[in-house]
Amino acid sequence: MPTKLLSELKSKEKGKIAKVGGGGSIHRRLLDMGLVSGSEIEVERVAPLGDPMQVRIKGYHLTLRKEEAANIQVEVI
Amino acid sequence: MNREEILRAQEKSLAHLRSVYREDAETVIADARYGFISGLLTEAMRKPAIERRTISDLIDKVLINRWLGIPIFLALLYGVFQFTFTVSVPLMDWIDEGFGWFADQATTISPEWLGSFIGDGIFGGLGSVLVFVPPIFLLFLALAFLEDCGYLARAAFVMDRLMHRIGLHGRSFIPMMLGFGCNVPAIMATRTIENPKDRLTTILINPFMSCGARLPIYILFAGAFFTAHQGLVVFSMYAMGIILAIIMGLVFRKTLLRGPSGHFVMELPPYRLPTITGLVVHMWERGKVFLVRAGTIIFAAVVLIWLLDYTGALEPIGRAIAPIFSPAGFGQWQAAVALVFGLLAKEVVIGTFGTLFTGAEELGGLGDVIGFDLGWTALIAFAFMAMTLIYVPCMAVIGTIRRETNSWKWTVFVIGYTLVLGWIVATLIYQIGSLFT
Repeated sequence: MPTKLLSELKSKEKGKIAKVGGGGSIHRRLLDMGLVSGSEIEVERVAPLGDPMQVRIKGYHLTLRKEEAANIQVEVI
Repeated sequence: MNREEILRAQEKSLAHLRSVYREDAETVIADARYGFISGLLTEAMRKPAIERRTISDLIDKVLINRWLGIPIFLALLYGVFQFTFTVSVPLMDWIDEGFGWFADQATTISPEWLGSFIGDGIFGGLGSVLVFVPPIFLLFLALAFLEDCGYLARAAFVMDRLMHRIGLHGRSFIPMMLGFGCNVPAIMATRTIENPKDRLTTILINPFMSCGARLPIYILFAGAFFTAHQGLVVFSMYAMGIILAIIMGLVFRKTLLRGPSGHFVMELPPYRLPTITGLVVHMWERGKVFLVRAGTIIFAAVVLIWLLDYTGALEPIGRAIAPIFSPAGFGQWQAAVALVFGLLAKEVVIGTFGTLFTGAEELGGLGDVIGFDLGWTALIAFAFMAMTLIYVPCMAVIGTIRRETNSWKWTVFVIGYTLVLGWIVATLIYQIGSLFT
């Protein structure tokens, strides 16, 4: 299955998280918010100015900047 | 166990986890936690086959829509301002008249100095501060509504890109906008910013947002010296403040407050209808700080200034300070006194001129009298307006900065850097402008 960075996904694209990278506090923060391997994730929309993006994960809405989303590898479904 | 042993044991466990899972400990713990949760959920909860679109999702489809997101955000912000100032104007008039009435009654008290102290000092001085209670509380009420219903998180989502560009966080935008109303609630509103450096930067540059108290000053001088371009001149003051805020924000973020901006990994909560109790509690919790301060630090300042005025110490003080401002064109003692008084509240700058040039009404307006008596030109008036915009924020704001930063060091820093910056800008305006006139 092709993997992409979450930041490269377009609105309405879905996938399964393959790996969460990044170091230090951002890594921990992403994990804390439920971005763990195997979770399904869907890009819901991008903010009017093109950044940050809004995703749906574990049944709730999360926003994150693209630079933060670039730490997450997603298997696109 | 001592520290070394604990650290060794920790290292060992971490190495063990890494060798077994081929992942770092944080990931292993998070995976295990969410694995456990999803196990529980499959046992205990039945999920609908298709995920339903909730009302929240539908509202978001419109409110943070790619095209409508920014217009709606600006419209809501405008609505907050309209609400705050429309509703507070009559309330402010009442407070003003009420304190004015008490002040008038007090002047009959004898001995004369006591009447002046109670009338001009206490009622006059405190009244000029307490008139800000309605806009502050109403602004907090409107803000509490946006926060409690869940829109504030969306506003940060919409504006983050722009604020991130200038080294700040999406959550800095609302406090900056609130600064146009009053910098006191604006600085208190920075509490929603989690990253300490983002928050401190937002506090440090907030006074450059022209608050409502500065508008009367702009209007007075623009009306008297720039009859043809009043609107443009007033607008240029607002624009100058915004540009300075951006420049100083970038400077602070690259020097004193260097470091990464806060993350933007944030939940968008579902929309909820705020409760009245919740709104009132929010409004009161934030607003009462202003009331407490009005009763302490501001009160003390009011008494001091009355004392200086009553004992005739004011003119010598003005004359001592005035030469500093000569390079900026307004080196008259009256201007220096007005600037000193303006520390109490910026609109007191006008009140001071009003007291020093009594009988202005018969002479065709206070602005004209200032021009005539002090020999001010449009250029000097413009430099003076810039000075009132930039130099030391008012007492209430200084007190708020002290409270919110919990640091005298940063409070003194704000006083110092705004004073120096104000002097530099006013002097540049006057000196460069003089080359062309």
